[in-house]
Amino acid sequence: MGQYFLGVDIGSLTTKVVLVNTGSEMVARATGRSGYSGRTVAERLVTELLRERGMNKNEIAATVATGYGRVTFPADREVSEITCQARGIAHLFGDARTVIDIGGQDSKVIRLLPGGKVIDFAMNDKCAAGTGRFLEVMAQALELRVEDLGELAAVARKHCNISSFCTVFAESEVISHVSAGAPKADIVAGVCDAVAARVATMTSRTGLEPEVVFTGGVARNSGVVNALAKQLGCPLQVPGEPEITAALGAALFARGIIGD
Amino acid sequence: MATKRRYLPLASTRHLEKMMTKYYALSRYHRLWGKPLKRPLAWITSGAPVELLRAFNIHPVYPENYGAICGTRRVSTDLCQVAEAAGYSQDLCSYARSHIGSILRPDLAPMGGLPKPPDMLVCCTNICGTVLKWYEALARIFNVPLLVLDTPFLPGDLTAHARQYVLEQLKEMVTALERLTGRPLNRDELNRQLARSSETIRLWKEIRQLCRATPSPLNAPDLFIHMAPIVTLRGTRQAVDYYRRLKDEVKQRVQQGQGAVEGEKIRLVWDNIAIWYQIFGFFKMFSQQGACFVTDTYSGGWVMELSPGDPLESMAATYTEIFLNRSPEFRARQMIELIQDYKADGFVMHSNRSCKPYSLVQEVIRRRVMQQTGVPGLVVEADMTDQRVYAEEPIRNRVQAFLETVGGL
Repeated sequence: MGQYFLGVDIGSLTTKVVLVNTGSEMVARATGRSGYSGRTVAERLVTELLRERGMNKNEIAATVATGYGRVTFPADREVSEITCQARGIAHLFGDARTVIDIGGQDSKVIRLLPGGKVIDFAMNDKCAAGTGRFLEVMAQALELRVEDLGELAAVARKHCNISSFCTVFAESEVISHVSAGAPKADIVAGVCDAVAARVATMTSRTGLEPEVVFTGGVARNSGVVNALAKQLGCPLQVPGEPEITAALGAALFARGIIGD
Repeated sequence: MATKRRYLPLASTRHLEKMMTKYYALSRYHRLWGKPLKRPLAWITSGAPVELLRAFNIHPVYPENYGAICGTRRVSTDLCQVAEAAGYSQDLCSYARSHIGSILRPDLAPMGGLPKPPDMLVCCTNICGTVLKWYEALARIFNVPLLVLDTPFLPGDLTAHARQYVLEQLKEMVTALERLTGRPLNRDELNRQLARSSETIRLWKEIRQLCRATPSPLNAPDLFIHMAPIVTLRGTRQAVDYYRRLKDEVKQRVQQGQGAVEGEKIRLVWDNIAIWYQIFGFFKMFSQQGACFVTDTYSGGWVMELSPGDPLESMAATYTEIFLNRSPEFRARQMIELIQDYKADGFVMHSNRSCKPYSLVQEVIRRRVMQQTGVPGLVVEADMTDQRVYAEEPIRNRVQAFLETVGGL
C-alpha cells in the first residue's frame, strides 16, 4: 500500500504535479509547460519526481487530476480546479475566505468557508483579457520576458491606459503607446492595471471577504499583485509557490480518497 | 466511451411529434387552403394575444418557435451568418437573425422556412423590445400590415392606466382585424378560445406542479420539448387533449415513484431560454451526476392564468403581467418561490447573449436569491441558438465546479 498522494493540475499553459504524504505535508512538486500534450508532460514530471526521490509508482496510493487536461490523465478521480484551488488554499491559509486565481487562460474569484468548501465563484467569460496569456502577449509585443514585468512596473513614473477588453486590440494599444514614445515601464504598469481591473470587477459578483489570497502563475508578477491590491483596497496574501496550489488541493483530495 | 443511460423518455413525445409535424405541414401548405377557407396567415410573437386571432379564424405561426427548431437542428449559425452578411448585427437576437436568414436563404432553412408571405404580422412587446424592430423589418420585406400591442414595462404592479393603455390598443387591434378579415369579431368565439386557452394553461400548470414530487417526473429538456403546444397551439382542442395525455403519463410516474433522472440526488431550477443546439448534451452533464432540473422560469412563462372578466380587459392584464415584463424584484421573488416550492438545492442561469431583457438583470437576481435561500446559483454564458457563443470546455468546467459545490465532494 502506497504512502503518498499525487495531485496533477494540467493547465492551459503550465502543468503542475504535487506529492503529499499521509500527514498531508507536501513532499515534492514539479512544473512544466503544458505544450501540445499536457498529459505527456504530467507523466514525465511524475516519472522524474519519483526517480529523484528513489520512489516507485506503487508508493502512490491515489491520484486526483484537475485543470483543463484533467480528463486526459489516468487518475482515480477528476475534480474541477475551483474545488481543488479552494482546498489547497484552505490548507495553506486557514483564514482565507476569498481566492483570486489568475492562470494562463482563466481568471477566477472563489469564495470559501473555513475548511475550503466553495460557496460561490466567478470566472472570466470566453475572453483571455485578465489572464496570464494576456500578459504573455503584451510582454512579447514589448520584447520583454514575462517574469520581468513586475520589476519594470515598479519603476513606472506614469501608468499608460490600456482600455480594450480584447487581447488583440489591447496589443494594438500597446503598440501605439510604443510609437508615441512611452517608456516601456509605463506601458507595463498600464498592462498590469488592465489585468487587475478585469479581475477586480469579477469580485463584485462574488463579494470580497478577507483574508484574500492571490494564486496562479500571474501572482508571481508583483506589478499585478500591487495593482490588484490597490484596486481592491485590501492586502493580498501570496503563497510561496502560487501556481501549484490547485495541484496541492488535488493531492489533498487524493489523500481524502483513502480516508484519515 | 459508453455512458450509462440515466434518462427516462416519455411515451407522449411520439404524440407530440405527430401533432407538431401536422401543424407545420398544415402551415406549410397554407397557400392551398388559406384563401378558400378564408383563413389568413399571421406571423406572431410568442407573447401575443393569439386568442383574438383564433377568434377571427386566422392561422398563426411563430417565428420564435421556428427559431428554436433551427436551433435544435443546428442550422441557426448558418442562417445567422446569412442575416449578418445582409447587414444585421451579430448583437441582434439569434431568433430574429435565424428567421431573417431563413427568408433570405430558404434553401438552408428547415422546411424551406415559414410559409410566406404572411397576410399580417402581429407583435406584442411584452417579451422584449427587439420584436418590434424585427417585425418592422418583416413588414418592410413583405409589405404587409403590422399590428403592434405595446405593453408598458411594469416596475411594480399593473396600474389602472397601464391596463387602459393596453385595452385601448386591443380595441384598435379588433378594428384592424375586422377590416383585414372583412368580418366582425365574434365575442362568443373569443370567449370559447379564451376558455380553451385557460384549460390548456391549467393543464400545463398541473403538469409542472407534479414535478414538486421527489424524484421529479420531468427534467428541463422534457419541459422545453413539451412546451411547444402551449406556445403554438394554445387554445386548440388538440393542445387540450395532448396535455391531458401528458398529465396522465406524468402523474403515473409520480405514483410509481419514477424520476426523469435515475437516482435523483440534486434538484435544480433553470432560468432563461433553452440552449437549443445542446438541449440534451448540456443537461446530460447534470443528469449523469444525478442532478435534475425540476422546474424553470422559461416554460413556466406560459402559466399565465387569464384574469377573469370582460375578455379584452382580461387579455390586457394577462399579457402585460407576464414575468419578462416585470421588475428584478418580481423575478427574484419568482425564483425564490420556485426554489422553495420545488425543494431545489441550487439554480442555473443561462446568460443568453440573444435575450437581453431576460439576461441583463440575472446577476442582481442571482445574488438576491442566494442571499435569501442560501442555495448556490451558477451563471453560464451561451446563446439560445447561435452555437458560436457556446464554449464547451469552460462551460463543462463551471458545471463540474458547481455540482461539486451543490453536491459536496
